[in-house]
Amino acid sequence: MLTILALASVVLLGIVPQQSEAIVIYTGWERHALVGSDIRLSCSFFSWRWTSDDVTFSWSYRADGARDAISIFHYTGGAPYVDNKGPFRDRLEFVGNPGRRDGSILLKNLDFGDNGTFTCDAKNPPDIVGRASSVRLLVFEKVPIQAGVITGSIIGAVLGLLLLIVVIYYLMRFLVARRVFNLSVSKHGKKGKGKEGSQQRQGPTLSIGDPSKLKAAASEKKKQESRKDKK
Amino acid sequence: MLVILTFIILFHVISGILLFISTINNAWWVISAPGGSVIYTDLWYSCNVTCLPVKNSASTDAAYLQAVQATMILSTILCCVGFFVFILQLFRLKQGERFIFTAVVQLLSGLCVMIGASIYTAEREGFTEESLRKGGYGSSYVLAWVSFPMTLISGLMYLVLRKRK
Repeated sequence: MLTILALASVVLLGIVPQQSEAIVIYTGWERHALVGSDIRLSCSFFSWRWTSDDVTFSWSYRADGARDAISIFHYTGGAPYVDNKGPFRDRLEFVGNPGRRDGSILLKNLDFGDNGTFTCDAKNPPDIVGRASSVRLLVFEKVPIQAGVITGSIIGAVLGLLLLIVVIYYLMRFLVARRVFNLSVSKHGKKGKGKEGSQQRQGPTLSIGDPSKLKAAASEKKKQESRKDKK
Repeated sequence: MLVILTFIILFHVISGILLFISTINNAWWVISAPGGSVIYTDLWYSCNVTCLPVKNSASTDAAYLQAVQATMILSTILCCVGFFVFILQLFRLKQGERFIFTAVVQLLSGLCVMIGASIYTAEREGFTEESLRKGGYGSSYVLAWVSFPMTLISGLMYLVLRKRK
């Protein structure tokens, strides 16, 4: 029974990856950059196969408002081919590592005309079925604050501060209560010892009995009073 | 005692509901366009027939709008937390003690509403786009200002209330 289960699981594991043998490509979703700066667009992929020597990366660019995409980069046969005629000539550089499944490119000296969608397509023969992934580039004069960053930080800071104050308050109360408890315990201990001492003195000499008796009575009274206070 | 308790709880719940509505409903600023359509805008969306996110909500101009969003959310959270703290204190306090913790939370909530509504009033011009500048204050704005004295009074009531058997 167990052997049949083991065999079935091995067969299933062998079959399943073969069916879902699509290549999965990862790029960012959106990239923000300042005018005149450089930006690195990353592209990576996941494939069930080992990285083959014929792995290819290709980047294409579609400007905002344009209908067609133009090809700006291609890596094949172990050599990168960058754009030398289009809008990115002399501004594009290959900074990826195909052996590590990284097909990133570096765009230099960005301009407002570079707003658009960059699509990365990677193929890892024989794993060639997959969907290309796109990253949107937005070029700004000054870096924007994303929606919700200030909101989230204000809420988090205030709530955190309130929580801290509450915790500190209860901690102080707990510590003060413990100190009071320790003090009262030590008081009790001293009184007990005093009583024993006075009783011992009462034993051998009876003439000095009165003051020691008074002492014992006084300490007894004090003990009762402290008990009442505690209540 | 029971009557006072019901009244206070009702007051607290109503102020909480007002805060929720004011925060969530996108009607802080109302523009009646000449074409006949009415546009409701702020804090989160500008709504006509379809709702679009408030323009500029991803730039430093919208820092004030984000601050208003944050304070309104904070005040709503604090009002809800205050309600739970009140229930907790109702069962844990000794006789004769005051509901100080609840009062503090409610007063903080009122403070946040006031801060939020004030910032909105002062800086509205900064984060509204040109076409939406002419208009009037909407229902959510009024509700926000109404919930400020409500939370304030609620907090003061908790400060005065003493626990009885």
